[in-house]
Amino acid sequence: MMVLSLLKKDFLIVKKYVLIMFFFIILIPPVMRWRTPEFTGILGFILSVIFSVFMLLQYVSLKEYQFPKAATLLCATPFSRKAMVLSKYIFCMAIYVICCIVYEVETLLIPQLGTADIKPFALMFLVTSIFISLYLPVQYKLGYEKAKFAFLVIIMTSPIIVPLLLRMENLKLDFLSTTSPYLISGSTVLLGSVLLAVSAFLSMKIYDKADLA
Amino acid sequence: MNDILTVNGLNKLYGDFSLRDVTFSLPEGCITGFIGVNGAGKTTTLRTILGLTTKLSGNIQFFGLDFNKNEKQIKDRIGIVLDDGCFYEELSLSEMKSIISSAYTSWSEQDFKRYMDMFSLDPKQKINTLSKGMRMKYALALALSHNAELLIMDEPTSGLDPLIRSQLLKTLIEYMKNGGKGVFFSTHITSDLDKIADTLIMIDKGRIIFQEEKDTLLDTYRIVKGDSQSLTADVRKLFLDISETGFGFTGITKRISEVRSYIPDVVTERPTIEDIMLGNIGGAK
Repeated sequence: MMVLSLLKKDFLIVKKYVLIMFFFIILIPPVMRWRTPEFTGILGFILSVIFSVFMLLQYVSLKEYQFPKAATLLCATPFSRKAMVLSKYIFCMAIYVICCIVYEVETLLIPQLGTADIKPFALMFLVTSIFISLYLPVQYKLGYEKAKFAFLVIIMTSPIIVPLLLRMENLKLDFLSTTSPYLISGSTVLLGSVLLAVSAFLSMKIYDKADLA
Repeated sequence: MNDILTVNGLNKLYGDFSLRDVTFSLPEGCITGFIGVNGAGKTTTLRTILGLTTKLSGNIQFFGLDFNKNEKQIKDRIGIVLDDGCFYEELSLSEMKSIISSAYTSWSEQDFKRYMDMFSLDPKQKINTLSKGMRMKYALALALSHNAELLIMDEPTSGLDPLIRSQLLKTLIEYMKNGGKGVFFSTHITSDLDKIADTLIMIDKGRIIFQEEKDTLLDTYRIVKGDSQSLTADVRKLFLDISETGFGFTGITKRISEVRSYIPDVVTERPTIEDIMLGNIGGAK
């Protein structure tokens, strides 16, 4: 219950941007279908998830950074620090779920967008999990400004690193084509969940020892 | 009388500053003032006993319960007013209230509305449009609307005009009359404590200097004025602090009968809390 109240708080402090983001989530897949039909379907969904989760999390972090004493007041009430941390993870995953629902509805209304099967949802769950599993503990440890800088460096260097990773010849993924898609999706979701659980545990440990402003 | 808060051997390192063996207790039914100059350790002590900053060592008990083991239950019974409000400034008063109220098991919407009306606060107003005084009143309305047994406030009267300070002090007295078990507030404006405090705790450089009932404290100390020539080395030792001018000396002591035995014709005055505070840190008038 406490976590839900804190989740409501996160949406409240960025309420100005929530509506705008919601429109983006709705618009990205059909606009991509219209402007770049060769990338119809799943790429629009992927972009809407990355865009909305990253932007809204950034806005929440910015507001917490602007008003650091507000979190101090909340920690002086019966809200636990664990619940404060957990609400951030749930906030990100709630946005992911909203993106999934919106995309599912859109594929029903606009058949040209393709079909929404479980694989892209599972893949994006893993991608979102990896992102917030790395970002949130770093932010709790280093603070908003330094975490933003660190991830900016990663984003700037990604055009160099990603092609290098793709050229790795030892990486043999042929077995995936013979494996059941449900098994792959299940494993992907499981891996994402484990990452989230480990990351949330780390963030709680870090925030538990933090001296609040 | 039971103690509603007991702090024992609290130690904390905070950069160059440290709290050293901070020990005190709050008796039930009292308004306790926590005094000290800026940087003495008042805010650090309050934040540490509320678990907002980590401690090196020490034991903290509220209502006879260990804080570490019963944190949530204890915080449910305490009202908190932090320095400068500590709100998400872009929210409206009712939005911020909806967040805070969900933390407490016995939140009273009726009490909150009563305080909002009493302080003439509009729930639709944005927090960043409130004046410092209105912000403090709002913080007090939030802190008093969940049947808190103990109210802890960090510098609540700092920067407020005399009218708002007076309203705030009246609200505290009313809170105690309506069943509050205690108020603990830090301040460096000691004139507020002259009016309402029952007990005083003084901190300086991270150490507790004294804990005493206000009336006992005011009876114990005396401001002494006299001729500088009568200040022998033995007499000087009886004073906490002495200032001298061409016309004579003014000092503060808690050993007035001994001073009188050396200088029978000295003029004495009852000190204010500020005199006692400054005397104890070596800056009396």
